[in-house]
Amino acid sequence: MIQCLFLLSDAGDVILEKQWMGKRVERSICSWFWRQRSEKEDQDPPSVIASPTHYLLHIVREGVTFLACTASEMPPLLGIEFLCKVASVLENYLGGLNEDILKDNFVIVYEILDEMMDSGFPSTTEPSVLKEIIAPPNLVSRVLSVVTGTSSSLNAASPLATSSQVSWRASNVKHSNNEIYFDLVEEMDAVFNRDGFVVKCEAYGEIQATSRLSGMPELSLTFANTDILHDVNFHPCVRYRAWEADQMLSFIPPDGAFKLMSYRVKGLKNPPLFVRPQLSSGEGICRVNVLVGLRGDPGKPVDAIIVQLPWPPSVVSTNLSASVGTVTYSFSTKVSTWIIGRIPKDKSPCLSGTLQLEPGINRLEEFPTFLVGFKIQGTAVSGLKVDKMDIRNVEYRPYKGFRAVTRAASYEIRT
Amino acid sequence: MNADSGHRKGEIAELKSQLRQLAGSRAPGVEEVKRELYKKVISYMTIGIDVSSLFSEMVMCSATSDLVVKKMCYLYVGNYAKVHPDLALLTINFLQRDCQDDDPMIRGLALRSLCSLRVMNFVEYLVGSLRKGLKDNNGYVRQVAAMGVLKLYHIAPTACIENDFVATLKSMLSQDPDAQVVANCLCALEEILVLERTNSDRANKDREMLHSKQIVFSLLNRIKDFSEWAQCLVLDMVSKYIPVDPNETFDIMNLLEDRLQHSNSAVVLATIKVFLQLTISMADVHQQVYERIKAPLLTLISSGSPELSYAVLSHLHLLVMRAPILFSSDYKHFYCRYSDPSYVKKLKIEMLTAVASESNMYEIVTELSEYAANVDVGITREAIRAVGKIALNLCDVNAIVDRLLQFLEMERDYVTAETLVLVKDLVRKYPEWSHDCIAVVGNVSSKSIQEPKAKAALIWMLGEYSHDMLDAPYVLESFVDNWLEEDSPEVRLELLTAAAKIFFKRPPESQKLLGAALAAAVDDPDQDVHDKGLFYYRLLQQGVQTAESIVNPPKKAVSDFADIQNSEMRDRIFDEFNSLSVIYREPSYMFLDKEHRKLYEFSDEAAPTDVLPTQKLDANDNDLLLGAFDKEESQSGVSNGDDGPLSAPRSPSPTLLGDSVPPVSASNIPAAFGIDDLLGLNISTPPPPPPSLVLSSKPVLDSGTFQKKWSQLPVALSFEHPISAQSLKTTQPLLRHMQEKSVQCMASGGQSPTFKFFFFAQKADGMPGTGFFLVECLVHTSAGKASVKVKSEDSTFTAAFSDLFKSALSSFII
Repeated sequence: MIQCLFLLSDAGDVILEKQWMGKRVERSICSWFWRQRSEKEDQDPPSVIASPTHYLLHIVREGVTFLACTASEMPPLLGIEFLCKVASVLENYLGGLNEDILKDNFVIVYEILDEMMDSGFPSTTEPSVLKEIIAPPNLVSRVLSVVTGTSSSLNAASPLATSSQVSWRASNVKHSNNEIYFDLVEEMDAVFNRDGFVVKCEAYGEIQATSRLSGMPELSLTFANTDILHDVNFHPCVRYRAWEADQMLSFIPPDGAFKLMSYRVKGLKNPPLFVRPQLSSGEGICRVNVLVGLRGDPGKPVDAIIVQLPWPPSVVSTNLSASVGTVTYSFSTKVSTWIIGRIPKDKSPCLSGTLQLEPGINRLEEFPTFLVGFKIQGTAVSGLKVDKMDIRNVEYRPYKGFRAVTRAASYEIRT
Repeated sequence: MNADSGHRKGEIAELKSQLRQLAGSRAPGVEEVKRELYKKVISYMTIGIDVSSLFSEMVMCSATSDLVVKKMCYLYVGNYAKVHPDLALLTINFLQRDCQDDDPMIRGLALRSLCSLRVMNFVEYLVGSLRKGLKDNNGYVRQVAAMGVLKLYHIAPTACIENDFVATLKSMLSQDPDAQVVANCLCALEEILVLERTNSDRANKDREMLHSKQIVFSLLNRIKDFSEWAQCLVLDMVSKYIPVDPNETFDIMNLLEDRLQHSNSAVVLATIKVFLQLTISMADVHQQVYERIKAPLLTLISSGSPELSYAVLSHLHLLVMRAPILFSSDYKHFYCRYSDPSYVKKLKIEMLTAVASESNMYEIVTELSEYAANVDVGITREAIRAVGKIALNLCDVNAIVDRLLQFLEMERDYVTAETLVLVKDLVRKYPEWSHDCIAVVGNVSSKSIQEPKAKAALIWMLGEYSHDMLDAPYVLESFVDNWLEEDSPEVRLELLTAAAKIFFKRPPESQKLLGAALAAAVDDPDQDVHDKGLFYYRLLQQGVQTAESIVNPPKKAVSDFADIQNSEMRDRIFDEFNSLSVIYREPSYMFLDKEHRKLYEFSDEAAPTDVLPTQKLDANDNDLLLGAFDKEESQSGVSNGDDGPLSAPRSPSPTLLGDSVPPVSASNIPAAFGIDDLLGLNISTPPPPPPSLVLSSKPVLDSGTFQKKWSQLPVALSFEHPISAQSLKTTQPLLRHMQEKSVQCMASGGQSPTFKFFFFAQKADGMPGTGFFLVECLVHTSAGKASVKVKSEDSTFTAAFSDLFKSALSSFII
């Protein structure tokens, strides 16, 4: 089981440590870990590695490394999921995550870590429940200002006396404005070969929800077309039987932000953008010509189009210009970045120019891969549509919001 | 620095006096001041400054109603109690008082702190508070108390057992209404009973009861009440349960099927483990399980954070390697993303290789060829090797051969090198393709190849297909001319063979070549090259035809190359699904949780500091240690019968000899040795003297290296030897005895009548870090014998070392 947790800054310094077992793990393990990282030219090592004395599990969030140590066998996903949970709870509590924020709030961080794990095994990790036990920082300061010295802080006694029937939600949630929002976020993975053919195209989606509803609301959400979903994962609040029987999401939501479900879309055929690269090299020069355009009509405008062109080490300098948008080149990373934004109606974006190769190298030996980014607001590329959402077991009528967005996750063009 | 620490000292002194003033004060606003001071102390503690000198002041101020101050105080006390056990006694009072507080939160926190102090003298206070805590009407307090029992067990196992806490936890397990309390009871019980089972039969029975049908199903039926983490715990327990009949298996799977849809990957993986374990002996269902778990795994690797998806991918990798056919239509999921780190790409390339079949081969090879143009050299190599492997595994190699030959045209040195090695294997398996391959290989410039393996491959092809390559004698000649510059014996050996082969086929052009090669070989400092040179020479003395029939007889195509991935190894890791070892792809390491090690602790006197501090190889869970090593031997025993390494001194195999044999001096060999002297010269080499072994008195080996070597080396020798150790009560006497014989102990454990030792020794004259002998020695005191397994880095001396070890055992008397 997890013995301890270290939070490391982006320079490898220990910001904070929490030991959960009697046997302490020395801080020197952190320097061992950091050496592994620097040996690999600051590439992050795998999330699970073995040091001479311990197994180390880690994740990196916003530049902060969450490093857990264990000396015994354990399910690795349990450890990593726990670290992810710690990171998200802290971020949620502190309104951000970086070295300074952590240092300003370490008392509360200790309190949280103390509740999230006992004897190396995760205990209370649900943010809404934690908030009843430990007041978020702003509340602490309010309490501080009215402290009289006679009464215990206001959050201590009540919640534990009345345990809730669902573990992810307190029984006494109250909001003055009742509202719930759903964000349908889909990410595309696609690979195109140098002839423009689709090698692979997939999409993954998530429904992120933010609930601010009083009482114990019973929600049900139905979709117009669930047949396109290949595999689904649910938040623990979702009743699986209802999904199996009626393809309906039936649940009592946790309070606050949560991931309601995630899914994989099968057989996606129409990636929204094409990119045609042409590279020809000889005599120490490589001529570049890249065209970008829409493939079919995604229904909503494609925004924030950006093409990254990482060049092989043999490229010394670039001389590229674009008909639409701007091109910049970073000498240190050897990456050209072409920011297009939205494709204008009357012009098709084209990038052209030359690359200077290292002396002695005639032609480009490696074939670079271009990476494309874009965003489509207002539509899910899979076509998944929410049909309706009902709410029961409460008196009020909440405000309901739905949004959809599609993003490129890993959209690669081979040359 | 000095000024800084002086400054800090001043600050701490000031904190001390401020805290003093506050103690006992009831002035308004005092809590607020306290909070700020405590915060300061805690912040010093956090950044690693020692504030333990404030202990008594901190305790004096602990009377507070402010929860946050209380928590800070608990935190501080927990951190320093072990350093100040005497002062920590001061905290007992206020912690015990807080355990009676009206607020359940404070009761819980205080109890948790009390249990975390881990000071031996406090055990009696702890027992009372725990007993109350387990009966508290508030769930939070009972949760803390259940875990507290586990903590108590770690501090004082006897106190925990004698106070019958195990029975209390057992009854709570089936009766407590709070799911988290039940989960904590389960967690504590599992751990205590595993550790306790070596000590008592009762613990064994308790453990059986814990895994009984009644308990398993009562937990399964309310699995949705548990938190996601507690579900993992329950699932882990279920995976150890053996159903009585298939119906029960199906019941469990039905109950758990929706867990595969859980958003927490830890729950999904734990469920998969249950499914795999339950159906392991039901072949058809097992296969359906694979089909069922595929989708959730593929979703997890694509959608989670990179850290999660790597861990899941490692598990998927295991399943794919075990049953590649079931994944052959999912190959696109294993395509590498540009941004994947190289360790992920490596896993994916291996999976692509495994799932390649006749239906998807073309796409997969096309994809792998893309990676061959990757900027990352490591990935390029992996990709090329993968293409080669697919070609060797599948019959339809038409398209693949073209692909490989295209690699040669890329004109990148390491691509060419990797490809040459593969082309060599390919023509050995598919001689019908040799013509096409050799045509292309002939165009490769021998100067662009630096890597020994590639050079050897090219030279092999030149020798084998010299009839198809016009300039083969001249290419080989230039290699022989540079004999002295060639560092790798592997290449020189290959060159000698190629020179002989070409001589049989095209004697007029290559007579000189062979003569030069033989002369160079006989002069070679490397024993193998030298021996092979002499061997060829003597063969040629018997006549050219005889020599040819031995050196280059007609060959049959190689039908199968040995699978590098040992399938037994894979199966073993498979038993450990959902464990860290899957990610390593090595069987579980034997790490030691040092806090449980008491039973097997070494005492320092055993290891005089001027010799070698006996490594404390973690031996806490003795069973784990025994189990893992035993398994390993059963595996390696298959491939290494007694006759192999045992007879090594008499018939040394080339790789085992290494540098232990002194180079044959050049004076043995006539200087003007050439083809003209082929007949009439009689060279005789004296037989090597039998090796004598002297052990280093101060070998240095750390436990990590020991484990690594242990897992890599085969068992060279195993034997039983009598030992008079009837009255051996601890491991110490034997440790000391062996140390006198220059045999050091790496780890030891066990209790009378069975002890287990890991020893090591090193050859005195060897290079640092080489020439180690590793020994596992099981001593059965009652039977008066020791079972010994020896692993050796230098097989020439295995027998000598074993004799030494035996005599050391014989001379041990207690």
